[in-house]
Amino acid sequence: MTMNVTCSDRERIFEDGTPAEWAALEAHATSCPLCAQEVRGWKSLSVAAKQLRDYSDSPSFWPRIERALAEQAGRKAQSTGLRRWLLFFPSLSIRWQTALAVTFVLILTMSAGWVYFQRPVEPRDPSLLKSSALKEVESAETAYERAIDKLAAEAKPQLDNPATPLLANYHEKLLVLNSAIADLRAQAGMNPSNAQLRYQLLAMYREKQHTLEEVLEARQR
Amino acid sequence: MGTMGLALPWRARISSVPRERGTRVEPSEHFAGGPNLAAVDAQGEDAALAAACRSGDLRAYERLYALHGARMKNLARNLVGNPVDAEDAVQETFLKVHRSIASFRGQSSFISWTYRILINTCYDARRSRRRKKEVANEDSEESPGLEPRAPGAHPALRMALERALAKLTQHQRDVFLLYEVEGFRHAEIAGMLEMTETASKNTLFQAKKNLRQMLEPPRTSAAGSR
Repeated sequence: MTMNVTCSDRERIFEDGTPAEWAALEAHATSCPLCAQEVRGWKSLSVAAKQLRDYSDSPSFWPRIERALAEQAGRKAQSTGLRRWLLFFPSLSIRWQTALAVTFVLILTMSAGWVYFQRPVEPRDPSLLKSSALKEVESAETAYERAIDKLAAEAKPQLDNPATPLLANYHEKLLVLNSAIADLRAQAGMNPSNAQLRYQLLAMYREKQHTLEEVLEARQR
Repeated sequence: MGTMGLALPWRARISSVPRERGTRVEPSEHFAGGPNLAAVDAQGEDAALAAACRSGDLRAYERLYALHGARMKNLARNLVGNPVDAEDAVQETFLKVHRSIASFRGQSSFISWTYRILINTCYDARRSRRRKKEVANEDSEESPGLEPRAPGAHPALRMALERALAKLTQHQRDVFLLYEVEGFRHAEIAGMLEMTETASKNTLFQAKKNLRQMLEPPRTSAAGSR
């Protein structure tokens, strides 16, 4: 049976024609110059498409791919070990998972405790005073200073009018000591917790005390 | 290439050797008659190749290359525009197949899946190259920047076709190359491009119409009437 097609069927056959329809179109094209031209033009694209084929082989190409695949397979094998271990956990029953989790937490806690208690104890810096000790030092210092001030008040007449060169020397020495004490007090004010400064200050007060005692002894002689 | 280790009857539905025009039902693929036994057989072979690749056997990949390497490289060459990038894309495709074969569930054929990866890889390569060009303040035209290849019988025709193809939409270009150049069937193309067979036919029709407009000299007024 011969199928009848017309020019209006051409585009539909181009798009989705059956082999029978194509045969009928080609038969029709023998008597229709326009359809003959269209069919030729349509088929010529398929012929032209062959120009885009180039199946030439490059011998080094597969070895290159094979090397890359082997390298990737090696990396994959390395990561599989870890993944397998991680995948092992979900395959356990919930009881075992709980037990493992508790054990893990226990080990973690014990390790943390051990690390905490085994940590090296840092020696306290003796040069730093804590606030309670500082208050104690400051009150003792004030009392000591007041006592020395009383001593200084007693020695003041001799020192203001030194009768001997020795007393004049004591006077100068006390001036130097007062100046040094004033400096140290200023520094201690800026850094009150520094015990070293306090020791130096104490030494200065002691020196002032001895000097004043010597002045008073010189008066008695 | 070395000897294949797989003793499988490799007569794939998607033939290993690119088909010539005469071997495909042309231009339609409507088969009359009962079940296509060859297609059923080929599906099993496709699954066997997928299984062999999934097992990590490099010989299976070598077989895949032997069957489709040349066609993959040619398709990549037509998509990316030069043989160097084409080889890179094919190599990357093999690596991607190797990496993600475990996720292949067999919704489409293994070969269709492989070609889909290749096409996506080629477009990624094109995008990446375009970005590099933009960074280098070079001309970033849409065409893939075709480089000379082995001389054919009609180099002028080939170059004109390449230029015209570059002006088609991505889908039209893909379908034209897969059908007319590589010889795949619409059913295979549908699997590769995740479209229906009808859509593949329609896209090819539109592609060819556009190509004719671009390649053929303007017709006389008489030729336009039926």
